[in-house]
Amino acid sequence: MLPLPRFEYSAPNDVRDASRFLAEPGSQLIAGGTDLLVSMKQRLFEPRHLVSIRRLGLRGVTVQGGVVRIGAATTLAQVATNLTVREQFPALSDACLTVATPTIQSMATLGGNLMLDTRCLYYNQPAGWRASLGYCLKREGTVCHVAPKGRGCYATQSADTVPALWLYGAEVEFQSTRGVVLRKVSDMYRDDGMAWHGVGRDEVLVAVRLPLAEARVGHRKLRTRQAIDYAQVLVAVRAPVADGPWAAVISAVASSPLFVEAEDPTALAEAAFRASQPLSTHLPAATWRKRMVRVEVARAAAALGDGR
Amino acid sequence: MSDPAERPSWAVYPTHSGEPAEGGVLGRSERKVDGLSRITGAAQFTDDLVLPRMVHGKFVRSTLPHAWIVSIDMSAAMALPGVVGVAIGPELPKRYGVIPVAQDETAMAIGKVRYIGEPIACIAAVDEETAHRAARLVRVEYEPLTPIFTIEDALDPSKPHIHEASRKPSNILRRVFQEYGDVQKGFAEADLVVEDTYEYPGSTHVPLEAHVALACPEGHGKLVLWSSTQNPHYVHRDVAHVLGMREQDIRLIKPTVGAGYGGKCDPFCTDIVAAHLARKLGRPVKIALEREEVFYTHRGRHPARMWLKMGFKKDGSITAVDFKAWAEGGAYASYGVVTSYYLGVFMPLPYTLENYRFESHRLYTNKPPCGPKRGHGAIQPRLALEMHVDRAALALGLDPAAMRTANCIEPDTETCNGLKVTSVGMKECIAAVVEASGYAAKRGKLGPGKGIGLAASAYMCGALHPVYQNELSQSSVQLKVDRSGEVTLFSGTADCGQGSIHMLAALCAERLGIEPDDVRVIEGDTSLTPVDLGSYSSRVTFMAGNACVAAADKVRDKIARAAAVKLGVEVGALVFRGRQVYVDAAPERALTFVDAVWLAEEMFGPIGEVGGYKPHKIGSRFRRQSVGPSPAYSFTAQVAEVGVDVETGVVTIEKIWVAHDCGRAINRRVVEGQIEGCVYMGVGEALYEEQRYRGGLMAVPSLLEYKVPTVHETPEICTFIVETHDPNGPFGAKEAGEGPQLSTVPAIANALHDATGLWFTKPPFTPDVVLAALTTARRRAGSA
Repeated sequence: MLPLPRFEYSAPNDVRDASRFLAEPGSQLIAGGTDLLVSMKQRLFEPRHLVSIRRLGLRGVTVQGGVVRIGAATTLAQVATNLTVREQFPALSDACLTVATPTIQSMATLGGNLMLDTRCLYYNQPAGWRASLGYCLKREGTVCHVAPKGRGCYATQSADTVPALWLYGAEVEFQSTRGVVLRKVSDMYRDDGMAWHGVGRDEVLVAVRLPLAEARVGHRKLRTRQAIDYAQVLVAVRAPVADGPWAAVISAVASSPLFVEAEDPTALAEAAFRASQPLSTHLPAATWRKRMVRVEVARAAAALGDGR
Repeated sequence: MSDPAERPSWAVYPTHSGEPAEGGVLGRSERKVDGLSRITGAAQFTDDLVLPRMVHGKFVRSTLPHAWIVSIDMSAAMALPGVVGVAIGPELPKRYGVIPVAQDETAMAIGKVRYIGEPIACIAAVDEETAHRAARLVRVEYEPLTPIFTIEDALDPSKPHIHEASRKPSNILRRVFQEYGDVQKGFAEADLVVEDTYEYPGSTHVPLEAHVALACPEGHGKLVLWSSTQNPHYVHRDVAHVLGMREQDIRLIKPTVGAGYGGKCDPFCTDIVAAHLARKLGRPVKIALEREEVFYTHRGRHPARMWLKMGFKKDGSITAVDFKAWAEGGAYASYGVVTSYYLGVFMPLPYTLENYRFESHRLYTNKPPCGPKRGHGAIQPRLALEMHVDRAALALGLDPAAMRTANCIEPDTETCNGLKVTSVGMKECIAAVVEASGYAAKRGKLGPGKGIGLAASAYMCGALHPVYQNELSQSSVQLKVDRSGEVTLFSGTADCGQGSIHMLAALCAERLGIEPDDVRVIEGDTSLTPVDLGSYSSRVTFMAGNACVAAADKVRDKIARAAAVKLGVEVGALVFRGRQVYVDAAPERALTFVDAVWLAEEMFGPIGEVGGYKPHKIGSRFRRQSVGPSPAYSFTAQVAEVGVDVETGVVTIEKIWVAHDCGRAINRRVVEGQIEGCVYMGVGEALYEEQRYRGGLMAVPSLLEYKVPTVHETPEICTFIVETHDPNGPFGAKEAGEGPQLSTVPAIANALHDATGLWFTKPPFTPDVVLAALTTARRRAGSA
């Protein structure tokens, strides 16, 4: 079988200790590990030191002052079944339940999902395969096989919970020895498959904050199979709040999520279609994935009704 | 020369196994005797075995599809603490392969690599992680050669040979051409000719258990080898051959195997190199493949391009079939010679056909070698044939079900290519699925995006001729009866999950009037069990089953003779049932089975018997027809109901009705499981599975991206068992493990036509392909 590489492992009790460990080169934070360990087996990451957040007390959902705060180590299964989440943020609950399989949902965490590495057909592969390919720009190589003449890496943002969190106006709380930093989900990601976020290496994602509001959000994930698979197209759609526009976040088609607004669902689907430029980062034809953006946005909007 | 059929022979044919006892074991629906141990984790797979001082082997694999090996630098790997030894290709120069005329493989590459992923060297280390790390430190220097990736290139005489020793003009492993009747005349008589090309993709088996071998040197130069194989006998022969050892000095044991589907039919580098390193290092060596390596090891379905022309009369009868196939087989032969025949020989089943011609090519390319996968070679042409039948029916205004039924061959007929068919349940199968599905009422009437389709098929029950020439038994079973009443059954068979252990226990129990649980089956151990050729070509129930009944009959006879004396009746008056031996007319006059065994041992001494099976020499009109003939054939019909999302192209299979003629069901639950497993694999090949390449690099060697259906995508499967009681099968049984897959994809393809009006001739029917076709069709309709 495919063995894990060797590593040291710590599970500190204090976020500042974790932050100190993470500041050292070669260390890597581990939460549920459901994605990280697979990537380590594929030798995409070979950290010397894994720093676990399991003893940091980051589990649970609390409500205070109009904000729901979800600890970063809360599992996706716990998030999905939490009554407050199900009542106030059903699209987040739905999104959690589309991640991989029930066994993985009971291990994987919300914080881990937000920090899911960008994915690509030429990157998320075993070491032997990547060696035969000549590696890729994102790891060990010099060429992007998706766009050999391009200038960057086009690995796609693929975290299932991000589009819904974005439209619910979520903020993410990071803590390090330097203190606490809040980032909006809508500001967290960059359109660069390699440097896809601006989070410092010593920062520990400790919680996600969701404002209690009246937003009605729908979530859809396009994938080949109704379990296991990562998204080929990921959309969340928000019905108008007051007299505002329709809004959509589209993911899995670029290195960062795309945000579009429009006056009505048809225009929203069209705007999403035009904004999306998927490349061959996935097996199905990119042209088909682009067409699916329009279909998925339209279907998500239709499921929300007339917006009132 | 006398007719070989008249030669005196020990072989059992037919078996005269007769009718099963009322209230006996046969025909029950029950859990396999080894079922619980598998689902509770108690069963021991090869990778569960751990021996003292055991080390782990890891292969260094080629990163180029076609190249000379200039040098292999292992210094960095060998310097790694924990590395205990290495092996390279030239240490094992002997070529091997199951098919004697096509032994072109070495355990590891010698001088040249022919596909990406081919093993070049093997590192042994104290643990798997160290071996893995060391293998990545090996530096191989190559001199690249022009690779051959396509059918066109493989047929091109100007392109270099993948195997330099080949005397063929291009990279052809085998060309087969056969013609029966008068094809030209047949087409001249046709009212309708349908002609088209099809492409069937390559696919892989996806057994849950990867290939594993564990070798342990014994004193006196002997060796024990545990291997996760479907064919212990062939592995045994080839390991001895390559290592230059006597076969009797190697004990090959097949532990519990976590499925094969044809992917574990070959002897593999794991087996040979583990054995070699164990001898070289004087300690146990285990090699367990990673999933990525299982993909490269491959032996999966041959991608095939096909051309089919069929002539029909107005009444739907078939006047002629002309068929050509090109199978792209990868870098080594594996079972490719057999594939080249299987592509054509089953086409005259199950419809009456007098004029038939086929030509097939099995080609070499610089890709991982293809081999046998469930429905070996017969899956691809069945798609073409069954779609053609539907196309003809629609063109002639006939009901596709009625047209198929009207043209079914009758029992006890010989096909134009010399296949002697005994029992045939084809019409019953078609009737069962057509009625249950409401096919007639639904066809063409389900509304846009919904469709229903039918297909029929036939498959073999083991090959008449063994792969290497011999007149020995193809299956053998030994029985030992203990005075406790326990019956131990020894057989060289290889249960790979399909249920052959239960099949043997049930047949033996049926004959002796005991329960399957009373029979302990010891299988797949060359030092303990008599030879069985292996789990391929759907042969085990038919052949090992017959051997089992033969052995059990001998045991029964001894017990009956002793019991008859005790009970004061003739042997023929006795019944074996419910762990008792009793007088049929007076059931109160009874002995327990244990007491009867005791009496038999008093009379005859220790009780042990053997039984063997080899097929009757079926004289064929055609001398060259050595691959294809089988002692019996199974038949399947299925109906698929599908939905197509016209906005996305996503195909959903709503339900499948399947009926299979398995002769007689020994255990209904196992038969249903095999049929459903076949349908499941067919659904995967219809919707998702395709072995894609980027040049010579397998595009997705992982179970995340190589999609097989999950429980969500698996349709409801409504299964019917049709029993025809084949005159030569054990209690009339035939195969159930492969045949049912043949008609799944064509039934789905025909349903897709019903749903969309389009013929999809190239699986898998992925959403992007389906949507593109729908869009083109809409555009055409709009402009027309």
